[in-house]
This record gives sequence, C-alpha cells and structure tokens, in this order.
Amino acid sequence: MTTIRIGRRAALAAGVAALASPAVVRAQADPIKLATLTPLTGAGGPYGPVMAKAAASVVEEVNKAGGVLGRRIVLVSEDDQTNPEAAVRAARKLIDVDKVAAIMGTWASSVTTAVAPLCWESKTFLCTVSGADSITLLPHQGFLIRTQPNSKLQVTRVGEFILSLGAKKAFTMIPQTPFTQSTFDVLNQVLPKGGCTHQSLIYDDKKTTYRTEVDQALRTSPDVLLANGYTPDTVVLLKDLYRAGFKGKILGFAYSINQKLVDQVGQPEVVEGVYTFAPSPAEGSGAFEKVKAGTGSANPDPYTCQVYDHTNLVLMAIANGKAATGEAIKDNIRKATVSGGKVVDNAVDGIKEIMAGGKVDYAGASGPCDFDEKGDILDCKFRYEQIKAGKFTLVKIA
Amino acid sequence: MLSYLLFIATIGGIYGLLALSLNLIWGGVGMVNLGLAGFFAVGAYASALLTTVGHAPIAAGWLMALVAGGFAGLVVTLSTTRLREDYLAIVTLGFAEAVRLVASNEIWLTRGTDGISGIPGPWKRALGPDFNGVYFLIVLLAVLVVFFVMRRIDRSPYGRVLRAIREDAQVAQVAGKPVLRFKTEAFVLSAAIAGLAGALYGHFTSYIAPDMFLPLITVYIFLAVASGGTGRPAGALVGAYMVMTLLESSRFFVEWIPGVTAVQRASLKELLIAVALIVVLRLKPSGVLPERVPPAPRPS
Repeated sequence: MTTIRIGRRAALAAGVAALASPAVVRAQADPIKLATLTPLTGAGGPYGPVMAKAAASVVEEVNKAGGVLGRRIVLVSEDDQTNPEAAVRAARKLIDVDKVAAIMGTWASSVTTAVAPLCWESKTFLCTVSGADSITLLPHQGFLIRTQPNSKLQVTRVGEFILSLGAKKAFTMIPQTPFTQSTFDVLNQVLPKGGCTHQSLIYDDKKTTYRTEVDQALRTSPDVLLANGYTPDTVVLLKDLYRAGFKGKILGFAYSINQKLVDQVGQPEVVEGVYTFAPSPAEGSGAFEKVKAGTGSANPDPYTCQVYDHTNLVLMAIANGKAATGEAIKDNIRKATVSGGKVVDNAVDGIKEIMAGGKVDYAGASGPCDFDEKGDILDCKFRYEQIKAGKFTLVKIA
Repeated sequence: MLSYLLFIATIGGIYGLLALSLNLIWGGVGMVNLGLAGFFAVGAYASALLTTVGHAPIAAGWLMALVAGGFAGLVVTLSTTRLREDYLAIVTLGFAEAVRLVASNEIWLTRGTDGISGIPGPWKRALGPDFNGVYFLIVLLAVLVVFFVMRRIDRSPYGRVLRAIREDAQVAQVAGKPVLRFKTEAFVLSAAIAGLAGALYGHFTSYIAPDMFLPLITVYIFLAVASGGTGRPAGALVGAYMVMTLLESSRFFVEWIPGVTAVQRASLKELLIAVALIVVLRLKPSGVLPERVPPAPRPS
C-alpha cells in the first residue's frame, strides 16, 4: 500500500519538473546560449550581480549589431550561492537544460573546482576568475581559462609591497582556503630576502570573534599585518584588531576589503589607513570605459572587468570557429588576441573584423588577455589603494 | 533535459537516503541529530580516499563509507550517552563542524580546501553520456533497499521499542528494555546510511570539498523529514524529493517572472522555497504522510 503511494508522489514530482521545462526547451531552438554562473548570494554576493550585468551588457551590444554567425545570443544567469554543492546543481541545469556553449564568471575557487569536471566532460567551455593555483592544473583538456592571475603571482607582488612599506616583522592571518599554503610558501620566500621576518596563523572563517587569534598575532609585535580573508570574517577581524589597539599597517586583498566592508564596519577609524591590493583592470582603456557604461558603475572591480572580457573572448572565438560549441571556443579562444591583428576593445568590432576575414588583437578591460597553454593569464597589472577618511584613494598601479 | 532530470533524481535519491537516516533517529528514537552533514562528509571522504589514494574498487569504497559512518556514529553516541534533546543537538552540530574543520585543515589526508577531485564513477568511461542514467538506478536501488529495511524496522517489535524510547525513555527502561543499546544501534545504523549517502554523492559528482558539507544540508534534510512526515520512512522519502523538486523547479519558475534582475531572481527563488515549505506545514502540520502507529498485537 505504502509503496504505491510513493510511486504516485514521485511521478507527481517528476511531472512538476517536466511541466517547468517546455519554455526553456522551446527557447533553445536557434539562438546561441551562453551562461554566467556568478555568486548572487553568499560570500561572493557583493560581486556576482555586477559581473552578470557586465556579461549582459556585452550580449546586448552584440545582439544589437546582429549577433554572431547570424544568430542571436541568449545569456542565462544562474546563482552559484558561493557554495560548490549548489553550484554543481546550477551548472548541471545550464549544461543539460539550457545547453550553453560556455559558462563564465565562476568566482570562489571551490566552486570552480567543483564545476570544472562537469564542463570538460560535457565539452562546455569554462571561464573563471578564481585564483587558486590548483585550478589550471586540473585535467581540463583546454576547456578552461582564467583571467585572474594565479595566487603565486599575486602573493609575490603582495610580498614586494609589504617590503616597500618598510616592514621588518610581517604577520599573515588567513582562513583555510585553496591558496593558503601557497600564500605561506611564497611569503616565506619573498619576505626574508628583504630582511623581513614572517609569521602566520590560520583561522576559522565562520567564527564571530577573533580576539584570541588577534592576541596571538600581536604577541609577535608585527609592524605589517596581512588580513587575507573574505569580507564577512575580515569585518570581524579588523574590528578586533582595532579594539586590541594594533598600531601597525594593515594590508588586505580588495576582494574582501571593499566599500561593502567599510559600510559594514561602520566606524571609519577602524579601517583608516588600511591598504588594499588587487589585480588592476586596464583603467583608461576603451574596454574599461565600456564596462563603466555597461554596468553603470563608476569604478568597476577587477572581476566585473574580467567577466566583460570572458564574454567578448567567447563571442569572438565563436566567430573565429564558425560554430557555437564548447569545442569551437576551446580551439579559437586564443585567436582573439593575435599580435599584429586589428586592435579592438569589444566583440562587436572584433566580430566584424573576423567576418571580413581579418585578425583581431583584443585589448580587454582586465588587461591584454593572453593565456598560456594551461589557461593561465600571462601578464597583469596590480592596483594598490589606501583607505583615507572612509574613501579608497589610489596609491599606485604597477 | 533528460540527463538533467536524471541528475536531479539522483541527488534527490541521495537526499532521500539522508532523510531516511534522519527519520530513523529523529522520527524513530526522538534523538535530534544536527550532525547529519558530518556523517555525510565522513562517508564521502572515506570512500573517496579509499578509491583515489588506495585505488580500491568503488564497491569497497561504499562498504568503507558504511563502516566509517557507523563507526563515527558509535563514537558520537557513546560519548553523549548522558545527553538528551537540545544538548545532544548541540554536540552533534559541533561534531559536524569538527569534521568540516578537520577536512579543511588536515591537508596531508584530505587535501584541505582544494578538495578531492577525480573520484572515479562506476563504468564512467564506458558509459559516457549514459552514466547519469545508470548511476540513478544504483542510487534508486540503494534507496529502495534502505527504505524496505526502515519499513521493516518501523513495523517490527524493534521499531515499537524505539518509539517507546522516543515517547518516554524511563518507561521503556522500567519495562526492561536496554535503552542505551537500542539508542546506540539506531544511531549507528542511521550514521552508516548517511555515510553511504556521502559516498554515493562523491562518486557521482567526482569532486568533494569541505564547503559541500555545511550545516545547510542538514537543514534541508530536517525540512524534508518535517514536511514529508516525521516517523514514517515513506514520508521522509517523499519529503526529500519534495525539497529537491522545490529547490530545482524554483529556478524555472523565477525565469518566467519579467522585469527582475538576476539578484532579485536569486532572492525570489529562496523566498519561494521558504513560502512553499511554510504552506505545506501550515496545511499538513504533521507532514504530507503523517506517522501511522500500528496497534500492538494482542496477546492471545
């Protein structure tokens, strides 16, 4: 008796899911489908929405100019919830139901690592902004590129900046993440060369107070402290450092120490003088101006610029490959940045040139967008800022 | 589309196993186990490590997951014999967090937050695109086996003792039932099932990381069991599929709503899930399939 009931309920559940599908199935008849999988909720919540908007602005422009290969482009935006379990379900939907050719903008390293196997197994192209070194070492068969410099390159620059601040005793506070170990390795190598000692501790990023951890750090009386967490835990950490009367310099990554953090802390004196560091977008470039216009943000962050580049690169790869498949994108993604080609800063101009039989050299909003064979970006500039009276002021771009 | 539905049905089946596990311990004995995600993780890691590092066959990994989950359950029950209700809930929640922290920090064993990738799936290469279908059948088989075992327990004298303990442990003790033994056995069995679910999950998605075992998954399963019907295996299973259907179908519903941004859509999705569950529990306070206690056999 009971088993029959299950049968009916399960059938009902399947029915509901099937009912939900026809609109989606119908829509995929002709247009080219691309997707963003960015964090709209969770720890990445401050970034994902603008990233999705940047991709949408590119798609809109290209559609206005007639699309690619005579086909319109449809962009599907899903939420990865900054959670690999949810991201896998969302990616499965994008790959199996929407049948997208490329997924762009995965943010957290754990999300990218979880989604990547689904992508290369189904020959879907994946563009990511995650920094963990391990990502490009996955057996992705070319179906993955990242526009974010890997953590080794980033941390080397951080180390050099710490030295330029005149540090003698540096201390790193960091949660356990895929880049924690490489951060320690690189800093332990770079800092002693400049006559600076380095100590560190790993904290749990879900805690509500870091008083003990701060005490432990301050016992070594550091003059520069690297706060290397995400926004929610860094808010707590900075407050506890202020309460403990820390007088040295604080440095952090701009992905966690951002306007949102300043607003959440709510006390300007807590964040006064804090340095931030980030891979720099190519400010002043044509592409960067387009990101500003497309997203309506006066100061778009690096991730937004990178997703703008993902979308342009993927669309030009489709034009070059004359097919809207993950495989065509994989084979042609590097043909959008051929040196000696016509320099363009958007896909509309690029597609026009490619269709006329020419070559293009895309100059992106995040930088030159040249990749090595593993999918890592070759060159990138970094941007250093300092918070003064609650405002981020530029120190240098180098 | 079909392969997506199979994927969701498979994940739903894994949630179903977790729901059956929770139903045994929470619906059956009345012990609140907030550490479900921890046992889920223990099983996933045990099987993933045995098959990737140890190169053992996948079936051995699954067996190992059962054993490891059960062993973790044994440790937890024996160390919490004096705790009841809220206190047990707190300790089990702590257990799950401890498992997650060990998984993210003992890098030599678990590869830390990088997670373990490349976990083999059964006949994955040979099956190609049919993998989702075959794996669904494997999970379905596991769910059916566990379901029938649970129903058997539910209707047996053993299940009656469990229910007696849930209603009043002291009375059961006075009636001569070894309460601690019953509790331990039920908890170990429940934890072993959660471990098996973890292993099935890992070999399906080929990747596990500590972030996948956040308390959120325990919350989903509690919702599933509460809305499906506490104390009835069929209710737990229906609840699990109901929660999974809500989680996934809400994606498509919000796509129909015009004039909202991607963020609003994501928030609406969460809202929709919450509202649907509230409505279910408002209309059916004891779940879609409420518990049925069969009358005890009369002495003849």
